[in-house]
Amino acid sequence: MRVETIRAAGGGRPAHIRHDDLISAKGVSVVMARQLVLQNIDLSVPKGSFVSLIGPSGCGKSTLLKVLAGLVNPTSGSVSIAGLSPVEAARKRMIGLVFQDANLLPWKNAVDNASMLLGIADKSLSRADLRARGQEMLELVGLGDSAHKRPHELSGGMRQRVAIARALALDPAVLLMDEPFGALDAITRDSMGQSLLEIWQRTGKTIVLVTHSIDEAIHLSRHVHVMGIKPGRITESLDIGLPYPRDLSVAEDPEFVRLAVQLRTMLRASHQPGGVS
Amino acid sequence: MSDQTVANSSGSRLVSSWGAATRSWLPAVILLLATIGIWEAVVRIFAISAFIIPAPSEIARSLVAQWGTLMQATLVTAGEILFGFLVSVVVGIAIALVIVRFDWLGRALYPLVVLFQNVPKVALAPIFILWFGYGLAPKIGLILVIAFFPVTLSMLAGMQSVDRSLLSLMNSVGASRTQILFRIRVPHSLPNLMAGTKIAATLSVIGAIVGEFAGASDGLGYVIQFASTQLDTALVFAALLLVSVLGIAFYYAAEVLERIMVPWAPKFSHA
Repeated sequence: MRVETIRAAGGGRPAHIRHDDLISAKGVSVVMARQLVLQNIDLSVPKGSFVSLIGPSGCGKSTLLKVLAGLVNPTSGSVSIAGLSPVEAARKRMIGLVFQDANLLPWKNAVDNASMLLGIADKSLSRADLRARGQEMLELVGLGDSAHKRPHELSGGMRQRVAIARALALDPAVLLMDEPFGALDAITRDSMGQSLLEIWQRTGKTIVLVTHSIDEAIHLSRHVHVMGIKPGRITESLDIGLPYPRDLSVAEDPEFVRLAVQLRTMLRASHQPGGVS
Repeated sequence: MSDQTVANSSGSRLVSSWGAATRSWLPAVILLLATIGIWEAVVRIFAISAFIIPAPSEIARSLVAQWGTLMQATLVTAGEILFGFLVSVVVGIAIALVIVRFDWLGRALYPLVVLFQNVPKVALAPIFILWFGYGLAPKIGLILVIAFFPVTLSMLAGMQSVDRSLLSLMNSVGASRTQILFRIRVPHSLPNLMAGTKIAATLSVIGAIVGEFAGASDGLGYVIQFASTQLDTALVFAALLLVSVLGIAFYYAAEVLERIMVPWAPKFSHA
């Protein structure tokens, strides 16, 4: 499979469906401390799509994301990202990570935080190059005028925007996000989700989002995978047919309401341990 | 956009901060002055002899009369404290860095460092005099063994408390251990390190005085010991006062250093 780097600059590239998978996990199981955390996960993420993983706590959705990021090795099964192992893909700057905590360096300002990982990944870049790239990314996430602010001068939502800018600065093929808006209040959360959608549509990145919010999953994603507990596994998958671009008013769409009911029913079933995988 | 509001307007609070500071210091000052007044009165009323408890006025008189000697002794002791403190900080940081950077060495070194903490270090003073004579060296050695530990321990705590997901981010882009150490762990440890440094500043004063007690021909510790053999209790108190002033000065110097080194820390004890 050919690796195509998608430039973040301008463009307004429409996110159309492609049938080649950027990420494919086959039969992934993870055993940690003698516990079966993930059982036989098959997951394919088409290039350019927006996929959400949703499930109760303890279903291993964060672990699955770490497996995709190359931070956790599967006990069995395999993961390929554009034909590479996750660790190889990460070294080639193909993976951008965003966690629930922004994890900014308090001694650096927003622009230096945004370019921090890029500076480590690519030692050939000068300070000025890094600054320019950091600034470009801050503008992409809507923080162009806060470049010189330190993290403690930024609100929680703004800090998380810097974290997204930091991941995007690597120009990764895929953005892996683990409950990135989980610590934010409902209103901020909505506006962050909307911004993420706009960033996705402008950059054409592939996004895998771990969330526990039904509304967020439907609002943002094209495909939702529901995970169950004991052991962690994918129990159901749901395509979200709502057309893009979507905004917050999508929540009033009867189709949205229908999908939310369906997803809630699936989630309720996923709380039952065991079951057939 | 709702997340773009930041609560950070300290402009109006700055105006009243001087008044607030005065109000917060005032009770302490009043208590101090009252204590001195009562002390003076009690000593005079009960005619307590000056070599048991000298009156504050007696101490002040001694301070003025012996000013030259006391200042010279203060300088000597201050030099020992400063030098010993700096050596302690440098050695303390170096040990912490080695423990974090080199797993093997760290596992060998850390238990020994902790074990060494159980040695009553004040008791080492006579040995240091035996080894290094009566000059500056034994005092520096004593300050070092007393004061390096809080520096090492606080810096270690700071370096090891880096968030795991931040380390995951660094690992995902292939950062080396040395990069993680110097770009993340060391700057992240600075607030802890500065707290340890303040403790070391206080311990350095103790180390210098104990070193002088054990064997010296100069310094405030020597003055205290000499004056007490002469039953010149007023001079003992005068020297004690200067030791305390030195202790406070070094503590605040460390705090100023903290403000310079860790400007991103959200807030400090005063301010």
